[in-house]
Amino acid sequence: MAETTIETFRCMMCGHEYQEPVVKCEDKERSCPKCRSNSIRHLKKRVTKED
Amino acid sequence: MTTTHSNDGELRIGVFVCDCGLNIAGTVDCAAVAAHAATLPDVVCVVRNKYTCADPGQNEIKNAVREQRLNRVVVASCTPRQHEPTFRQCVLGAGLNPYLMEMANLREHCSWVHPGDREGATRKAKDLVASAVARARFLQPQEELAVPVTKRVLVIGGGVTGIEAALQLADAGHKVTLVEKQASIGGIMAQLDKNYPTMDCSI
Amino acid sequence: MVRPDEFQMGLSSRKAIYIQFPQAVPCSYILNMDDCLGNNPIACGKCADACDKRAINYDDRDQIITREVGAVVVAIGLDVYDPTELDEYGYTRFENVISSMEFERLICAGGPTGGHFVRPSDQERPTRIGFIQCVGSRNPKVGRPYCSNICCMNTIKDTLLLADHYPDVANVVFYQDIRAVGKSFEDMFQRSKEAGTRYVRGLPGEIEEDPETRNLVVTVENTTSGKLERHELEMVVLSVGVQPAKDMSRIASMLTLSRTSDGFFMESHPKLKPVDAPTRGVFLAGFCESPKDIKDSVCQAGAAASRAGALLNAGQITIEAITSRVDEVACTRCGVCAKVCPYGAIVWKKGEVASVVEAACAGCGSCSASCQFGAITMRHFTDEQILAQVHAVLAEDPQDKVFAFACNWCSYAGGDMAGISRMTYPASNRVVRTMCSARVSEEMVLEAFRCGAPVVLVSGCHFADCHYINANRQTVQRVHKLWDKLEKAGVRPERLQLEWISAAEGQKFAKVMRQLEELRGTVTRDEIEHAREALKAKPGKRPGVRAAEPVVEAPAAQT
Repeated sequence: MAETTIETFRCMMCGHEYQEPVVKCEDKERSCPKCRSNSIRHLKKRVTKED
Repeated sequence: MTTTHSNDGELRIGVFVCDCGLNIAGTVDCAAVAAHAATLPDVVCVVRNKYTCADPGQNEIKNAVREQRLNRVVVASCTPRQHEPTFRQCVLGAGLNPYLMEMANLREHCSWVHPGDREGATRKAKDLVASAVARARFLQPQEELAVPVTKRVLVIGGGVTGIEAALQLADAGHKVTLVEKQASIGGIMAQLDKNYPTMDCSI
Repeated sequence: MVRPDEFQMGLSSRKAIYIQFPQAVPCSYILNMDDCLGNNPIACGKCADACDKRAINYDDRDQIITREVGAVVVAIGLDVYDPTELDEYGYTRFENVISSMEFERLICAGGPTGGHFVRPSDQERPTRIGFIQCVGSRNPKVGRPYCSNICCMNTIKDTLLLADHYPDVANVVFYQDIRAVGKSFEDMFQRSKEAGTRYVRGLPGEIEEDPETRNLVVTVENTTSGKLERHELEMVVLSVGVQPAKDMSRIASMLTLSRTSDGFFMESHPKLKPVDAPTRGVFLAGFCESPKDIKDSVCQAGAAASRAGALLNAGQITIEAITSRVDEVACTRCGVCAKVCPYGAIVWKKGEVASVVEAACAGCGSCSASCQFGAITMRHFTDEQILAQVHAVLAEDPQDKVFAFACNWCSYAGGDMAGISRMTYPASNRVVRTMCSARVSEEMVLEAFRCGAPVVLVSGCHFADCHYINANRQTVQRVHKLWDKLEKAGVRPERLQLEWISAAEGQKFAKVMRQLEELRGTVTRDEIEHAREALKAKPGKRPGVRAAEPVVEAPAAQT
């Protein structure tokens, strides 16, 4: 089973911040759920217990 | 291929600004763009054409390459995705390595998208030409690798389209491999009763 | 074993061993292993007993056949729209509501009823039949905003067939527009009307069933008269649209093809290269390129065949000279380039200098952009060439400009599409083209900020469309590093933007440019000045930033 963690993303266009489950090693194109921009910054994990 | 120009270690860039009829000139002040191009480093000749891609335009490039001993060419016209092969062929005809030609996209990326802003579009066009000239100064001749083409075609899909393509290729003497996911070829058309406009059977 | 017969749209049944249809090519029985119980004396094995030629082979398996080819024609066709989700038409609730594909089988002499047109509920011949157009077409609500092209004419054909077989039939067609554009199509439309078919402009809101007669009551606003009409019909045919085939995404990633927003394959140029795929040697034909009828499919098949044939006849192709080269002196043997190369075209062993296998290199430039030591030159897209463009574009009034890197295949082409479609956007942007977004190095972006760019965009293909397998994942990583770097330097990271724009997305290109211009308006002169200072290159870090002077090669060999 691939490891899944909840990660935080920030849209660099509209500023919207959101969380999403991420499967380890997944290859996924990201877009802002609010403004559809692809400038999605994967923020450093706040909770580090999965590491 | 005869290399007619002498390459004496000095950069000699020719800039060819295309009006594209009114496609570019209708929005961009091409005269101002040409005047600006003349001020750019190593630019030794600037030519305005009505249609650079047409024979007279291409001939002007070829003549300028020979007469002005150009060793870099910048064509400020349309997208390189359309006419890069045209102008590469053109400079090759004048004895220049095709990779020494650079384009500035004044049409798809400028005049066509800024029709109401002549001033802004002209400013942008000047920059796009400056960018192409700057790049051209660093261009180097490149040699293309020739690779043999395997003499067989794969046709994916055995519907009416795939069958027709495969038959035509086979008729022309080519080896064809037709791939179909179903047990029989025929595709969706085989499921139809009669077809328009002939009102005859599909199989 | 009895299974629904897929060829007959499930209107009759087949066995686990069957011939798809009488005219099948090759015309031999197939044993469907999903349905077969296997050669097990307890379960089955009857077909093996029955076949005295001993032609049944239970152990036959899928095989992988390798063929080397010089060209590919993609003609993978379409899927027919499944109207189940449009509940208002009651396709799953009412037996006498059928799809136009089922109609084809019911009227066909080779169909389950032998061509006797009957309705499913009572096997009686209906005399009042309604056709509803645009089911799953021109309907953004179900994600299909496009016209399926064939359904109008198909319905007109159906009404003519019915009128021909059964003169007493009264047809009514509910439509929003009749698109009879094609040679002799208008004539067929007129003939359909002359044969008694009524055309009602307006799509029904709902269908109800009379539980006793199993007839269908269609309520529709006739938009020509403005009146609400009720039609009691014995059968309703949903004129279903078409959609991209399920397999399209797999084929797309195999052959690095792009798709339009509707999901069909994108051609190289909508007018001038209508059957060339952006990938060289790949040609598109038929429905997978866009909805079209049989005649147009045959025309396009011929065009694709001719293009593929021309390539083969030429005997050889020239590969563009855009490949990378390693500077053996500058190489520090770190191996980063080998790791980022999507093609495995860089040979490197620990402690050894990297080298490029030129025939395998496709020219994305990932390696060059990720080399910290300037040891890889991407021919025709060198650091010097690209940085010279950055400097030239931002030489004057950089504060007024949005600086954009765009990849050749998708985002630059998306800009072309915006142009071809005359979508306007502010004239502030300056685009520099690279083959792949992964060619854009950290230094190039930083240099743009150092030159005073208020906003920088890095743009490339969507993940599924990347023309260099997956090189644009490197772009994502690099942009993340840059966001960190900018933040550390006290530069607002939002000034660096990332977008995936396909060759078809002219609209998105224009929208992004408008957004970036808005963003540019928020960047102050102080911010620009601060970035210039804070991002200053540390001396001697990377050779790409030096004020390079062009070198003109020694006289070329004269022949």
